[in-house]
Amino acid sequence: MKRLVLGRLFAIATLGVTLVASTNVQASADDDVWQVLQKAAAAAHALSYQGIFYYQAGSQSKPVQITHLFNGKGEFARNVVLDNSPREVFSQGNDLVIFNPRNEKIVIEKRHGQNMFPAILPTNLDSVKESYSVRAGERERVAGRPAQMLFLEPKDTLRYGYRFWVDTEYGLLLKSEMLNGHNEVIESIAFNQLGLMDILDLDWFQPKIDNKKSYVMENETATIAYNSVSTDWKLKDLPSGFRKVDQMIRMVHGKTLPVTHVVLSDGLVSVSLFIEPITKNIKPRIGHKLVGGTSFFASVSDGYQLTVVGEVPEVTVAQIANAVVFKK
Amino acid sequence: MNEQISALLDDEIAVEDAAHIITAVQLSKQAAEAWSQYHLIGDAMRGNAVLSRQFKQNLMQKIEVEATVLSPNAALINLVAEEVKHRSKIPATWSIAASFAAVMMVAWLVLHQQAQNGHELAPIEVAQAVSTTESAIDQGIPAEYLSAHQASAPSASSYYIQTVNFKE
Repeated sequence: MKRLVLGRLFAIATLGVTLVASTNVQASADDDVWQVLQKAAAAAHALSYQGIFYYQAGSQSKPVQITHLFNGKGEFARNVVLDNSPREVFSQGNDLVIFNPRNEKIVIEKRHGQNMFPAILPTNLDSVKESYSVRAGERERVAGRPAQMLFLEPKDTLRYGYRFWVDTEYGLLLKSEMLNGHNEVIESIAFNQLGLMDILDLDWFQPKIDNKKSYVMENETATIAYNSVSTDWKLKDLPSGFRKVDQMIRMVHGKTLPVTHVVLSDGLVSVSLFIEPITKNIKPRIGHKLVGGTSFFASVSDGYQLTVVGEVPEVTVAQIANAVVFKK
Repeated sequence: MNEQISALLDDEIAVEDAAHIITAVQLSKQAAEAWSQYHLIGDAMRGNAVLSRQFKQNLMQKIEVEATVLSPNAALINLVAEEVKHRSKIPATWSIAASFAAVMMVAWLVLHQQAQNGHELAPIEVAQAVSTTESAIDQGIPAEYLSAHQASAPSASSYYIQTVNFKE
């Protein structure tokens, strides 16, 4: 009898230890996966590579040639969209210059961005960890390279999930898929060929000039950094994980009055919120729309038109519009 | 000819040896156009701001609004110092970056002589973003908001797929 009790106690103790051990194993396995993603985020910036990847969303598919150089001081990249009218996107750090063929002209557009494939992950993953969990998948080959597949799953239904394939040798992201709530792929970017470069010169870092076309600068929509403290609205109860990362006042095409533009992000995906007073000649707009992975929501509140656009589920854009509270 | 103009701007031909190029730029409309386009491309790649059409108007408005301060403003001086510090950090490694002084010298020569000859450089045209889709929601996401969203929060599709149509 005594032996039986002892035996039971021993069994319970063993079970307890096993449980604790398995949670620890789980936690450390998660840490390992985050580590792989952390390495992928850094590798995209720190390595020099050249290759071709395919971007696919809906019925659209575009091959893109990428050349990325890190020379110890700065980062240079050229992306050429290989189709009938090749677009060239040049980036130095976060500054982008896009040469965009339009009929007989080539329009030069300037942008800021830091999330071009394969550098789609932020180097600080803290905010991503808040809203997504990770899981390791199979080992597969992508573009002839050995890769580890990883799942980045949203902890709620307010954002989309991802599948990443990371090169087990270079650490570089080889393939990325964005999945909707039904596990359907809504956007996919994957290398088809990839190699490391050991050159340091920048001869390739210039646009292919077409002498038959004229080059024009895009009419830059004026934006003003927002530093005014007194606003007549505030954001209350934003969807979990989303924070305001930028705010500006800008002109929007077809509008006579400037519009307040707030950019929100959960660390991985960005959503834009536009706030504008409704004047006599503006017809208020109400409704929602989902095109591919992009959701759109428009509503009216206290004499203001609220418009939300982002690569998130419809419920998230609606929640962001509802989070705007006007001070009475 | 265009290659030679490009080489001059890239500092591959010495200004002293470029008399024939400068003459050609003055005489040929085509060469003059190539000249101004290479400058535009170079400016864009180097990150120089191109003055907008409303520049003068905006500047005058700002001056109007700005209060006239007669005492030295320490905060402003600090701000300027900060700005200079910030600018000096910008690496000058853009490939098209020609020797700036040489370009300025050549540009001055050409412009000066062109003005004398009564020619005028074609003004830089500015393309207007015009959405071809109507703004009704049932036809898709309104292009004006989508393009504003993509300009400030670009996603993968905005880099590789053209969503807003330009009408010239």
